[in-house]
Amino acid sequence: MPFNRKPQKFNAAIKTVEIGSGDKTVTLGGENVLPFYSFDGEIKNGPKVGVEITDLGLDNEIAGVKAYYEGASTIGEIAKKASEMEGADFVCLRLIGGDPNGEDKPVDELVAVAKEVADAIDAPLVIEGCKNVEKDSELLNKVAEALQGKNVLVMSAREENYKAVGAAAGLAYNQKVGAESAVDINLAKQLNVVMTQLGVKPESIVMNVGSAAVGYGYEYVVSTLDRIKAAALSQDDKMLQMPIITPVASETWSVKEAMATEEDSPEWGNQEVRGISMEIQTAAASLASGSDAVILKHPQSVATISKMIKELI
Amino acid sequence: MAKFVTIGERLSVTAPTVNRAFASRDPEPILKRAKQQLDAGAVYLDVNIGPAENDGEELMKWAVELLQSNFDNVPLALDTSNKKAIEAGISVYNRSKGKPIVNSADAAGRIEYVDLAAANDAIVIALCNGEGIAKDNDERMMYCQTLLERGMEHGMEPTDLWFDPLFLVVKGMQDKQMEVLEAIKMFSDMGLNSTGGLSNNSNGMPKNIRPIMDSALVAMAMMQGLTSAIVNPNDLRLMETIKSCDVFKGNTLYADSYLEL
Repeated sequence: MPFNRKPQKFNAAIKTVEIGSGDKTVTLGGENVLPFYSFDGEIKNGPKVGVEITDLGLDNEIAGVKAYYEGASTIGEIAKKASEMEGADFVCLRLIGGDPNGEDKPVDELVAVAKEVADAIDAPLVIEGCKNVEKDSELLNKVAEALQGKNVLVMSAREENYKAVGAAAGLAYNQKVGAESAVDINLAKQLNVVMTQLGVKPESIVMNVGSAAVGYGYEYVVSTLDRIKAAALSQDDKMLQMPIITPVASETWSVKEAMATEEDSPEWGNQEVRGISMEIQTAAASLASGSDAVILKHPQSVATISKMIKELI
Repeated sequence: MAKFVTIGERLSVTAPTVNRAFASRDPEPILKRAKQQLDAGAVYLDVNIGPAENDGEELMKWAVELLQSNFDNVPLALDTSNKKAIEAGISVYNRSKGKPIVNSADAAGRIEYVDLAAANDAIVIALCNGEGIAKDNDERMMYCQTLLERGMEHGMEPTDLWFDPLFLVVKGMQDKQMEVLEAIKMFSDMGLNSTGGLSNNSNGMPKNIRPIMDSALVAMAMMQGLTSAIVNPNDLRLMETIKSCDVFKGNTLYADSYLEL
């Protein structure tokens, strides 16, 4: 019997969300097939790769990252280099220094950092807060205001502060909003519902449904991603058709497999090689499960994942 | 599994307001009722123009165009015994939101409605009746087979025949209720879709009782595998029950606001 190819067709598609402006604008989402199933239908946009930098500079970074940014001293220069990294589609600025339990930098100082970064690059920009719900409500509001016209993706609106963050970024200042849930598929959907009820356009929402390093509950991340894509495409669930962005670097570079020095754990071998390996594996798995964008840090990871995407689509 | 498909039943000549509006081609009452049903979550709208022997073709075209142009090509069930009117309706029908439904065929005098659906790539509601109500499930399933074979002979996908077991009125036919539910399970086991006029069960009951009976029956029927029903979508209790059953069946993903979707 001859082989009859039967493409898996869905009468539904992931919405497209544009971030950035001008030539460098990137479009997330738009696919109507399962991840990398380009044999079932054309994947127009393909997943995107972002490069993470933070307001804390490079002091705590691993050697290979420091080496890449050599010569860059200001945050603007660092951002510029990040945007020029091989395989980079966008830059993600994490304002970690705002954390009240950490450096507790004032909001104005962080807004200035965000502005400096936005002015230094023409690549699209994603801004992440410090993860403290109260501080982020104010911080992300001010950042969204300061970067009007840049069409940045503001991360993240969470269950506790979606009204403040969603209203500021998505409504008042016309930016894109990340809706963050921590590996909770029902909450992921609920956040999209309440954000759209607030008036934020579905085309302005990107989901961050949670992340983990491989080996750290990562199977829950995969099953969440899988189920969201399945509901979005096969059940035409409009409240789950927002593209997904997955921060990877912030998870993988903070686990012991990436942090333990070779001196402390000689049996694990070279620390940097391990860290890159964790980052690449986690990113590849996230993309294969349905992420439309990943955020990475190491130049070697960015180049590798970007090459993987190009070869698979 | 796909979400349960509700077919809103409130655009029917049995309602005097609708009857008058169809007769005088008055869009307002039609659009008002259509909007109420869609806002309440109806997927399809049934357009029952009655026998419409004189002007059925023109009337059905008018209704299809009116509803689809006002409500983003809402999918419709075309409900009349006038076959030409159904064809006329389909000739102006936009399929972007779903195939048209021919309402309805049976295994006796109305079996040609299956052919009509096949010729027009439409879905057909296949009432498992012969000259009268099937006396038991042996007879009901025989009609089901007859209708299924007819459709397949004419090139239809089996899933485009939506089998209607005929919901029976409790007051008078209480002893037949479980049999209807068993028929739905048999359709489902064969991989077939099903639908029907669910509220038949509560005919003649007090107004405040009907939503309770209809909700209980829809839950039991969905458990048996019912995939659609012709309902009053403005019955809030019924719609809440359907949405809740869709969650239990995994047809939709739960979110706290699921009743608002």
